[in-house]
Amino acid sequence: MFRNVKRAFRRSDQEVLALDDVSFEVGEKEFVAIVGPSGCGKTTLLRMAAGLDFPSAGSVLVGAHEVAGPGPDRAVVFQQFALFPWKTVEENIGFGLRCRGTPSDARAAIVARYVELMGLQGYERAYPQQLSGGMQQRVAIARSYALDPDVLLMDEPFGALDAQTRVVMQEELIKLCRVNPRTALFITHSVEEAVYLADRVVVMTRSPGRIREILDIASVRRREAWEKLEHVEEVMDLESFVHLRTRIWRMLREQQEGAAVPGVPAQPA
Amino acid sequence: MAASVRSASATGRSSAVSSSATRATRDAKRLGGQRRAVLALAAIVPLLILWYVLTSVTHTVSPGRFPSPHDVYQAALQISHGNGYAGGTMSRQVWQSSKLVLMGFAVASGVGVPLGLLMGWSRRAEALINPAFLLLRPIPPLAWIPLAILWFGLGDGAKIFVIWFAAFVPAVINSHTGVRNLDPTLIAAARVHGASPPQIVRHVLIPGALPMIFTGLRLSLQASWTTLVAAELVGAILGLGHVLIVASLDIYPGMILYAMIWVGIMGAAMTKALGVVEKRVIPWRS
Amino acid sequence: MAQLVASRRPGRGIPSAPELAALSVAGLLLFFAAWYGVAASGWVPSRFLPGPQVIAEMIDRLAQQPYAGYTIQVHTLASLKRFALGFGLAAALGVPLGLLMGWYRWLDDLVTPLFEAVRFVAPIAWVPFAALWFGTGIGGPILIIFSGAFPPCVINAYRGARQVDKVLVEAAQTLGAGGLRAIGEVLVPAALPSIVAGLRVSAGLGWQSLIGAELIVVSSGVGYLMVQGQTSLQTPIVMSAMVAIGVIGFVIDVALRALERAVRRSWGDQG
Repeated sequence: MFRNVKRAFRRSDQEVLALDDVSFEVGEKEFVAIVGPSGCGKTTLLRMAAGLDFPSAGSVLVGAHEVAGPGPDRAVVFQQFALFPWKTVEENIGFGLRCRGTPSDARAAIVARYVELMGLQGYERAYPQQLSGGMQQRVAIARSYALDPDVLLMDEPFGALDAQTRVVMQEELIKLCRVNPRTALFITHSVEEAVYLADRVVVMTRSPGRIREILDIASVRRREAWEKLEHVEEVMDLESFVHLRTRIWRMLREQQEGAAVPGVPAQPA
Repeated sequence: MAASVRSASATGRSSAVSSSATRATRDAKRLGGQRRAVLALAAIVPLLILWYVLTSVTHTVSPGRFPSPHDVYQAALQISHGNGYAGGTMSRQVWQSSKLVLMGFAVASGVGVPLGLLMGWSRRAEALINPAFLLLRPIPPLAWIPLAILWFGLGDGAKIFVIWFAAFVPAVINSHTGVRNLDPTLIAAARVHGASPPQIVRHVLIPGALPMIFTGLRLSLQASWTTLVAAELVGAILGLGHVLIVASLDIYPGMILYAMIWVGIMGAAMTKALGVVEKRVIPWRS
Repeated sequence: MAQLVASRRPGRGIPSAPELAALSVAGLLLFFAAWYGVAASGWVPSRFLPGPQVIAEMIDRLAQQPYAGYTIQVHTLASLKRFALGFGLAAALGVPLGLLMGWYRWLDDLVTPLFEAVRFVAPIAWVPFAALWFGTGIGGPILIIFSGAFPPCVINAYRGARQVDKVLVEAAQTLGAGGLRAIGEVLVPAALPSIVAGLRVSAGLGWQSLIGAELIVVSSGVGYLMVQGQTSLQTPIVMSAMVAIGVIGFVIDVALRALERAVRRSWGDQG
């Protein structure tokens, strides 16, 4: 999917390289998480996949085609939810379908299905501002899923939620992905979240943003049968989980000490 | 620009608007002066050329409807020399108008700002004063002009009175809102550190309300200027508005446009001057 | 809030709601009493300052007998008609222009300098040209209302459009919304609160500009009524017209406030 991607930004008359030679691929129906310190360019990567940003060099491919702009085949779940405040929950979920021209009865059926799947019954007519953060993000996820996209792009979707809601949403997302597996790219700064959710975890460094390592979680998960456990904290208690988490933390710490070299400019995520 | 801030303060949602205003100015700065200047020229120069062509080359626009650049130049020459026009030279007319605006504005803000602060500080004062204030507020300042002329005649007194009304309302409202919207934790913080009420007023209340006070003053100044021009149009013996109305009766488009240009220049200059003062007084507001 | 207010002024307590209401009533009474008192005392000749009761009687009389050609209702209606035309025109042109300036950068770059160049010319200064171009026809006052009401429409729509959360626009794009749909379903609703706030300011300025115009260029309307009262030294007529102007201005403001609230409610604001 990403092939030798570079992205440079101009910042007060000097070029800053935000991403340098990033290449990796997300397989069909595979869930890949990217972790890295803020400023490593992980959000930029996701925006490129969405068609909201473009590489300075290299290419971003979805399927066989280079990404030319945003499109409903790649749904984005934003950290700030990005729900339309003047539309009700139903209208928000149905927005993409309306853009596509889906007839209203078919649309209503799809909306109703995702309302149920995300546990939003009873809130169909509510406005986003009347909902809690967790509920809002459910709406946003439902809105993305309703388009039946090939690829799901999630930019720290739980970053704005409190810790408990976050855990609940992680569990729900896992369930959703089991029912409706999608090719997914998930950005997070939480190591636990990445290990818990993803089939593979891409660990990035910053200044410039590069891939440090890609870890295979899926094989460990299958071997240790994480699926059997219902709750996050039970999985997190497993030795296999702790081991992976510690490994990633070490990588991140190494580079943090490395990045403390004076004169290295900080960059935005 | 300032007009929308007034609406915001009235609905008590000033914070959102003022932050957007600062964002807008930041955007403007990021644009870079050079690019902006070039684009401004690109927009204005063709229009000036069009003006010249339509009035002086093709004569599509008759001189009785809109003056040519040459007409304006002639008018400028006439009013700058000798006895000038409509009772004086342009510098005298401009001075007359500016003098009255500054006097009316000074009186209005001198009374309005303290009153607004008082109403913001004390709920009792607010309850006592607000009803009468609300009663007078919907009457636009221009509507006071005939009464002012009845009371004070055509002289300076009537103008100062009308300007006072125009400038008073925004000064009060915005000072009031400025205090009301002050973060209560700031006052709590001052109290925790042992500030006495007068110290709170001096060190927390007034500085905290200053940005809104200046918003009010800017609106006051603009209202003063509009009102004065209107008052001079209705009845005066000297001043820019007087020039406008005399030129209008003489059907003298060149002079009308020249006087209008001066109305614009003076309006802009006063606003800019207040902006300079604001920057001095509120250095912490970027 | 009440707690914090109390802590500002220790020892004096929170003023209770009835106390505040009583103070408000007292304030109003004081205002009318002072007016009545000064008028009745004879310090100021009643020719200059008639008491409130005289104004009330005068309004009643103006409603029945024509003055300056018409009854006060007809004058008011004439003013309102002009206002509606001028304000409607300003809103219909200003709001779309502001939105498009906020959406398309080149339009912003092109229009802003022109706008800045004329912004400081007081709307009332257009009176001579209004008279020159339109005589005493309806065009003159409309031009003046327009020049007062147009800038806030443009500025607020522009600012509303610029303020739109970029994420919302991006979200709409990723969901497959094209340019027109993005403008119609994201830009306009997102800017709506700012637009409506602008309309309210614009209506106020338009109303005030109309009065200014009527003082000078027309021969009907409440402003004209006022000038006629002034030239015949009839203070009660001038003050009656002021009351009418104030009442209408107030009604317009209340109507637009209601609109503002309705908009905010459609945004899901419960407040």
